[in-house]
Amino acid sequence: MNVIQTEHLTKTYKRFEKEAGLKGSVRSLFNRKFISKTAVDDFSLSIGEGEFVGLIGPNGAGKTTLVKMLTGIIAPTSGKVSVLGYYPNKLENSFKRQYAVVMGQKSQLFPELSAADTFLLFKELYAIPDEEYRQNLAYFTELFGIQEYLNVQVRTLSLGERMKMELIAALLHNPKVLFLDEPTIGLDAIAQKQIRSFLREVNGQRGTTIILTSHYMEDIKSLCGRGVVINHGKKLYDGALTSLFDRYQTHKRITVLFEHENGLHLPEDIEILEQNPYKVSMMVKRERAKEVLGLLLEECDISDLTIEEDDIGSVVERIYAGGITDEEVS
Amino acid sequence: MRQLRVIKTLIKLRLSNLMVFRLSFFGAFLIDGSMFALQLVMFNTIYSQVDSIGGWSRGEVVIFIGTFSMINALNMLIYFFGINDLPQRILDGRLDHYLTKPGSPLLRLTFESVDIGSIPLVLGSIGIIAYGVSLAGITLTAGKVAAYIVMVLLMTLLWYDVELILRCIPFFVISAGGITQLEQFIELCFKVPGVLFKGVFKVLFYFVLPYGVMATVPTQLLAGTLTPGGLCYAVFIAALFTALALGLWRLGVKNYKSASS
Repeated sequence: MNVIQTEHLTKTYKRFEKEAGLKGSVRSLFNRKFISKTAVDDFSLSIGEGEFVGLIGPNGAGKTTLVKMLTGIIAPTSGKVSVLGYYPNKLENSFKRQYAVVMGQKSQLFPELSAADTFLLFKELYAIPDEEYRQNLAYFTELFGIQEYLNVQVRTLSLGERMKMELIAALLHNPKVLFLDEPTIGLDAIAQKQIRSFLREVNGQRGTTIILTSHYMEDIKSLCGRGVVINHGKKLYDGALTSLFDRYQTHKRITVLFEHENGLHLPEDIEILEQNPYKVSMMVKRERAKEVLGLLLEECDISDLTIEEDDIGSVVERIYAGGITDEEVS
Repeated sequence: MRQLRVIKTLIKLRLSNLMVFRLSFFGAFLIDGSMFALQLVMFNTIYSQVDSIGGWSRGEVVIFIGTFSMINALNMLIYFFGINDLPQRILDGRLDHYLTKPGSPLLRLTFESVDIGSIPLVLGSIGIIAYGVSLAGITLTAGKVAAYIVMVLLMTLLWYDVELILRCIPFFVISAGGITQLEQFIELCFKVPGVLFKGVFKVLFYFVLPYGVMATVPTQLLAGTLTPGGLCYAVFIAALFTALALGLWRLGVKNYKSASS
């Protein structure tokens, strides 16, 4: 059964445009100029119950706009949208009780109070029975191991602790669908890992359908079975992530710091991103990574070495440049 | 019932929030109390020189001042600090979370920032009204007091409606910097008895921005000078503006664009 269904969904914004300077301001006072920006363009999507879907795309691709339409925050310009059988922008209470949204850059907690205080408000807003509230709070705080921070003022929590509280607040009422917009943004590696593990548990044990947008490839790769790639509001790819990464995550970024000054000469076909006598950073084709690493280890005194996967932007660029077949998009 | 429980929780959280900052908690009493004292001094200075304005006796004018202070105090006590920030929330996208939670986002905004520092203002206003009643030689009955309270609440609702209407404008425009300044200027007219307005100003402050009605009608009711037509008009204008405010809010939410994060 599909919990989310969109057909030809489109959202167009009118944006105010003004020339720089006083002259431009005076001109705009009498002659307002607006430009149209299509943030989501003819977007069709189906998501089934219990799926964990990653929305992938660079900044401004349309991911957040799509999530805002699916949660009813904004109305679509055209097209059809149904979430759990509801038209989201009608903002019906019976609909709002069945989903939750966490936005990495917009907190829903009262900063001056403790997270436990916000949870009490949510208990009333969602009409959560006492027993269910107690059980869920105990379950989630134990899963995160943050019982001791429940009564601490939110403002004084670390970013990672706050995000864990945001997730608990979102899940107290057992939502059927959870929308996560950049939940790990700005977090350190340990907190990211804990949140991934938490989300995996929620999806696996509770069957919650999760839609995740993230800049971090690792979030998407380790959590989502299915990925939807968006750029300029259009869907570029919708399918299994393994085949997507096999095909388009073709490079690795290798960064090496040297013990001593080094005049390393690399093969010409390697893309150098940055080079100085103590450091070199390069993009290497995945199949050549082993060979290049061997060369570096053999010829240089290495003090530090980092190997990173292609970032989302590069993968999307490659998909965009390479084109996608109709079957892959559908 | 559910809504009442939500309101109760919001008020409890607000009180907890205020108590986190001891200075804010006690400072609120101090600041609002000082404002009230200043108003008293100002009005006393002005009205000590006159016995009658626009046919109103000194007692009626004092009741008017007390009624104005009372509506203003109720405004600050209940909803002002909740909805005052609405334009900014619309423009920077902080309204998002309100829309995705069950229950009315407007109800939550309205009761989220009650200001207990305004309680002394309410009590002081009662004192002024009582003084005005004794000055005017009005005989109070339970029915008259009840009708006055209902009318004050109705006019507080009308003020809420006007404030909400002005604060919904950012749903439809790209900037809303001048709205509160415009409102502050217009609210000055609220401090003048409505019976003094003539011609265009009467139309403006009775029909378009009904600040002229708000403290005037309850005063007339208590003084026994309110006509049946005036009573009907006050009820009508409150109902009309409530419908307008709610309609504009709903339309605004439909038109909400959020903000990029």
